[in-house]
Amino acid sequence: MNITRVESIRTGDWYDKIEHPSGLQILVYPKPGSHSTYAVFGTRYGSIDTRFRRSDEETDSEVPAGIAHFLEHKLFENEDCDAFARYAKTGASANAYTSFDMTCYLFSCTENVYESLEILLDFVQKPYFTEQTIQKEQGIIGQEIRMYEDDPSWRGMFNLLHALYHVHPVKTDIAGTVESIAQITPEMLYRCYHTFYNLHNMVLCVAGNVDTEKVLEVADRLLKPAEEVRVERAFPAEPDKIVQPYVEEKLPVSFPMFNLGFKEVPEDGGEKAVAETDILLELFASDASPLFRSLLDAGLINESSFGYDYFTGTGYSAVLFSGESRDPQAVAKAICCEADRLRRKGIDPDDFARAQKAVYGRNLSALNGAENIANGMTAMTFRGQELFRYIDMVAEASLENVQQRLNHQLLPEFSALSVILPDESLTTLEV
Amino acid sequence: MQADTTRLFSEYVLGEGVHFRSIQDRRFKTQRISIHMMVPLKKETAAANAMLPYLLTRTNRAYPDYTLLGRRMQELYGASLSGDVQKLGDVQVLSISATGISDRYALHGEKISRELTELLCSSLFEPYLDQDGLFPQDGFGQEKRQTLETIDSELNDKRIYAKRRGLELLLDGEPAALSRYGTREAVASLTREAVAAAWQELLHHARFEIMVMGDCFPELVVDTLRGRFPVGRELSDCTTIAKPSSGQVRERTDCMDVVQCKLIMGFRTGISAQQWQELPALKLMCAVLGGTPHSKLFANVREKMSLCYYCSSRYDSNKGILLIESGVEESNLEKAREAILQQLEEIRSGNVTEEEITSAKLSVCNGLRTVEDYLGGMESWYLSQTFHPRTLTPEDSAQEMQQVTAEQIQKAAEHCVLDAVYVMKGGSEV
Repeated sequence: MNITRVESIRTGDWYDKIEHPSGLQILVYPKPGSHSTYAVFGTRYGSIDTRFRRSDEETDSEVPAGIAHFLEHKLFENEDCDAFARYAKTGASANAYTSFDMTCYLFSCTENVYESLEILLDFVQKPYFTEQTIQKEQGIIGQEIRMYEDDPSWRGMFNLLHALYHVHPVKTDIAGTVESIAQITPEMLYRCYHTFYNLHNMVLCVAGNVDTEKVLEVADRLLKPAEEVRVERAFPAEPDKIVQPYVEEKLPVSFPMFNLGFKEVPEDGGEKAVAETDILLELFASDASPLFRSLLDAGLINESSFGYDYFTGTGYSAVLFSGESRDPQAVAKAICCEADRLRRKGIDPDDFARAQKAVYGRNLSALNGAENIANGMTAMTFRGQELFRYIDMVAEASLENVQQRLNHQLLPEFSALSVILPDESLTTLEV
Repeated sequence: MQADTTRLFSEYVLGEGVHFRSIQDRRFKTQRISIHMMVPLKKETAAANAMLPYLLTRTNRAYPDYTLLGRRMQELYGASLSGDVQKLGDVQVLSISATGISDRYALHGEKISRELTELLCSSLFEPYLDQDGLFPQDGFGQEKRQTLETIDSELNDKRIYAKRRGLELLLDGEPAALSRYGTREAVASLTREAVAAAWQELLHHARFEIMVMGDCFPELVVDTLRGRFPVGRELSDCTTIAKPSSGQVRERTDCMDVVQCKLIMGFRTGISAQQWQELPALKLMCAVLGGTPHSKLFANVREKMSLCYYCSSRYDSNKGILLIESGVEESNLEKAREAILQQLEEIRSGNVTEEEITSAKLSVCNGLRTVEDYLGGMESWYLSQTFHPRTLTPEDSAQEMQQVTAEQIQKAAEHCVLDAVYVMKGGSEV
């Protein structure tokens, strides 16, 4: 078995990276003195993977939206008992989540670490679906979808993705729609399971009070080696241009909300591109930036809601801003103007140096918690990135490279604004 | 290299009603210093008090400009100086905190601990005031606008909004029913004079809990703060009252354009932290009822009966109340309400298995033992016990939980009396 110790001189931390014979990549990040252990067993399979081709098949397959999330719900139930009932005996706090590009099963515990790990590795490898259990789940997930329909920030976000993307499945709700999940059958679930829950497509990441040898002992016993199935994700060709620059919806909110996105052509820039973008956004829009200050002074944003994010995955990439504002159009305009100003005048070297220190310090702080580490490393692994290398890239970033990113990021002609407006007619009635 | 995992606890009294607690813990790569100020939550003063943590951390005499202060925080490796307001029973807690990386990770040997200590101290004692001794108009106007927007946007998250409405119904007329920010009207009519006066009031009458945690230098903070508080401080009364049941069930329904309904059920237990002997049993009963994914509410009302998307219970030991929150389809509202009460009835009649108790204990203890791995977790843990008759470590509490018996759980359930039912549903029909 190939075990590599990955060390970070800057942070003083290290972890073990193991290529397990079963095909699974295992990462073990011990935190001395930690009471708790946090484990994530993830597959690179998310809501966008609705069209794919297996390496052992000739043609593409297409499946209904929301199937990755549906699978996540169903895997908790094995033939004899459900995973929560098994965790009840170890005390672990367990959960799972599905995002655009991955599905993760996790637990956190302070005792019975390896018993809990055994449960995790076991239930995720034991799919069990019947017509009857699927029907019941359609009801539960239908309620979840409806709950999100009442969430204005979720709605604002997906309205924006619809305005940015013509065909990429990232614009579809992660849980799918009531109609799409109604088409799901046991055969489809098994087929997607056997395609994407191949150990070669998965990662196990354990951080906290943990020992590599003991993790491997459980892994050796529980992991079932399988033929490698490579999956080619087939995305329809997404145009560079946006769909429409503005979209709005009225909902029962009392204050307008906005999501502003700058679509960009996806690149494979690795840790370096992410590090440079994080620094760019810090100097561009953090609460110490001139942009933030001018928006605040004009009464256009508030500190508690304004935020930004570099939103990127297979076939999609965008810088997103969100918040509450009495005048979202004015905010969008100010953001575009500031990007143009920086393109013309150049980034101030002092602003760059401060932003670099801030991003570095915050990433270092994030290494406090086993939860952050395990979730972060899992996501980075699926993107072919490495945590310590990312931190080094932040520390070593140059002003010139960050300035160059403005040539293809934050371009006004590729931006769209989504606004959620209060609906005056939907007032609250007391019965 | 052997990592240093020792922890050092210390406590001091720095003056009348000024309590200092530190936990030095080198496992962390960060340090956090917080000053919590506690005053009775009152309709007349809530709004002015609530604005102070934000105003005090916005600027100070050393950094009179918001952006200058922000830049200084960037230079300190993304450190933060922030304000917060929360409720602890009938008490309003106003907090200012400084968080940053530990000194040993500063790339150029900066003394982050000293800088953060001085910044926080300056925020509290040397705010940036104009020649009239008032907070300048621009910062004041900004904070007022932002507080109003925060109040307005509370409607956006239906789950949180419904919970708040449910609590208002249950605690009707009690201080804890007030918004932590004060009413919208009170915020809108705030004056700079009122806020400056509230700051003086705090310095002279608030109870202070100072907490320093992580890879920190507690002595530095003690030395900087000692002697800074006014002499002859008289503390205001921070008693919280845990009322017994009113003897009737208050009901309220709000209609709103929502797809999923919310059902909030509020119970009085008559047991608060003052009755500390009974606390472990109540907390464990709450876990058996709806605190975990294998609790009665989750396993039965959600999983078996598919009546709710979420259904959980929470116990507040300061007010002695228990709240059950759920998201329900409108057609299932009545059924869900009955099913929830039925689960409580099961515990009252002793229909709880040994397995259910063991798993609740494991789950609660797991949560308690995880607290110490997070700075924020530790701070909340100790803060929540400020007005309790005794202070426990998370491990002490875990040990107590282990001792709870089935009979005690059954008895704890008998204390729960339904006092309020709040429903948020779709449409506008009356």
